[in-house]
Amino acid sequence: MRVLCLMLSAVCVLASCRGRETPQLTTTAVNRVSVRSVNLFFETPQLLLGPEQRNLSLPENEAGALTPVVRELIRGSVNAAVPRSFPPDSIVRATYLMANGTAVVDLGGATLVNGWSAGSHEELIATFSIVQTLTANFPSIKRVRILVNGQAAETLAGHVAIDRSLSPLPSLLANP
Amino acid sequence: MKRVKVASALMVAAVSSIVWAATAASPVNLITPAGTFPVRVVEENAQPFFSAEDLIKGLGGTVAGTAPAYSATIGSVEGAFGTDSKLTIVSDTMVELASAPIVVDGTPFLPLQFFQAISRPALRQTLSFTAADRTLRLQPIANEPIAPKISVVNLQGMSKVVIQLAAAADYSIAKDAATYTIRFKAPVQAPFAEQGYDDPHVARVLFLGSDLKIQLTAPDVAGSAYRLDNPFRIVLDLQKGVAPIQEGLVAPPRSEQPRDLPGIRTIVIDPGHGGKDVGATGPNGLFEKDATLAIAQKLSPMLSRKLNVRVILTRTDDSAVSLDERTSIGNQYKGDLFLSIHLNAAKTRGARGSETYFLSLEASDELARKAAERENQQVAGPAAAAASSDLRLILWDLAQQDYLKESSHLAEVVQVEMDRASGLQNRGVKQAPFKVLVGATMPAALVEVCFISNEEDELKLRSQEFQTAIAATLASAIERYKKEYDARNGLGAPAAPVAAKAAPVVAPPVVTPVTQ
Repeated sequence: MRVLCLMLSAVCVLASCRGRETPQLTTTAVNRVSVRSVNLFFETPQLLLGPEQRNLSLPENEAGALTPVVRELIRGSVNAAVPRSFPPDSIVRATYLMANGTAVVDLGGATLVNGWSAGSHEELIATFSIVQTLTANFPSIKRVRILVNGQAAETLAGHVAIDRSLSPLPSLLANP
Repeated sequence: MKRVKVASALMVAAVSSIVWAATAASPVNLITPAGTFPVRVVEENAQPFFSAEDLIKGLGGTVAGTAPAYSATIGSVEGAFGTDSKLTIVSDTMVELASAPIVVDGTPFLPLQFFQAISRPALRQTLSFTAADRTLRLQPIANEPIAPKISVVNLQGMSKVVIQLAAAADYSIAKDAATYTIRFKAPVQAPFAEQGYDDPHVARVLFLGSDLKIQLTAPDVAGSAYRLDNPFRIVLDLQKGVAPIQEGLVAPPRSEQPRDLPGIRTIVIDPGHGGKDVGATGPNGLFEKDATLAIAQKLSPMLSRKLNVRVILTRTDDSAVSLDERTSIGNQYKGDLFLSIHLNAAKTRGARGSETYFLSLEASDELARKAAERENQQVAGPAAAAASSDLRLILWDLAQQDYLKESSHLAEVVQVEMDRASGLQNRGVKQAPFKVLVGATMPAALVEVCFISNEEDELKLRSQEFQTAIAATLASAIERYKKEYDARNGLGAPAAPVAAKAAPVVAPPVVTPVTQ
């Protein structure tokens, strides 16, 4: 407890030093979080995309909620029988929501960056699982642009064009 | 224990206040052609952060959103940023700031880099800040020098000169006797003054100011020129006895021009993947790239024999050919039909069957249309070049509709034949934005023969018999499509084949640039 008090005192001293700069402003950014039910899209036994409902703690600001949703999607289904859509080392570096309704998802991870050897079906499922998940859960999102390691890329694995923004592909959806 | 938690929370709160504290500074002036605007500024660690609302508005744009995520728009250029990250985005380019944006009294403030990144493409001007007079100014972008990289390679009797640039550039091409001159509109940072080549068609390349001169070995050396994107390249295919190219336009790579005659005379077969890109891998190690090449090499002579057409393979060996180059080869050779051969893969156990794709309308968005329009412009004649850009776009839209309709027919016929003859499960005809089909100026389809991820199919794919059977099925499909196409277009009796005198199977140049 004594150690904590000392640390707290040190922090307060630091804060007061900073306080000599006047006038001082303090940011008042509010980032409210609430639990929300979302549908994540994974491959079905019919090789289409089907929803899996999950409750997630998400920022109420829509743009702030994109990253946790895509991270959850990339983590995979809770059903072990459903194959992962992305290579296991894939990461979500950042997401953005543009004013024109385009969400930008920046993916990373060694496999995607160095070249993913996958069939076109796997690539279609992976690419459109992101597109479908974001457009289905966030009505303001109309299209999704995918980047790899912060850069525009032609494809994730040599087939599906991601050098443009994509809207959902209804033919890939399983019947509800 | 509870006290420890409370103390920890207090400490975190105190640290937060240090990190987030910022000091107000007097506003700065933004000077633009539209007037002078005050821009609020705060400072943190002696670094100025500018109000996004003031500065973007002063630049003629808007800011939307609330903490922690915002978007900014100037004209057609979109940007976005969040208070939790130094990474921001402008169009499709990430911009890393020196510090993450901060929010003061509900207003987002950012370092200058973000505003510079968005104003450059939106306004074609650079934004600078002078601390001495506390002024933000817009200035026209300086004519930045371009730094070309040159490679010259001879493939199957044709010399390919590739000039690669970091970004698209304006240029013109002219031929005078035995010299091609590429004149750039920007200053050139030459990689060398002059360089000789041991090549049958290219003697030397030299730089004179903004001119790049390609000195040929003889005046009758000529050929075609075209552009490729990502990265931006100007390519000249040179050989003897070809009509000289016109400025900025492309001549066909051979003296015959089958596309000018009706009917299907040139068929482009694209064996998927190649080189380092192995495609999907079977459970026992078969690479997709090897099986697709084997099928394509069996299909090619079948088509030449059966249909008496010219067949172009986008690769004839284990070469890496970019997706753009595959369609460019098809367009350059004025193909009448493009079929890309692939093998599917899925992690779902037991996934089987064949399916055929054609381009989804989704992929025919503005970017794709513009990219393809550029290629179309290159293969068009002088009249088309003279047409307005808008007219070309309208014509291109109409042409794409026709291609899509024909591509749909082609995919249907291929899939019906695959279903009838191969014994594979029919997974149907589908549409998807496959990159290799974008920009093809001809009916185009992509067939997924079977699932290489299925052990049984992988075993079959290794056999010559199965490869031959698939090739024969695809040949029958193309034959049927050709007959139906001829009937639809009233072409009745087949005309004499154009390529009858030439070698029936033409291996196109596969670009393997040699950087000098």
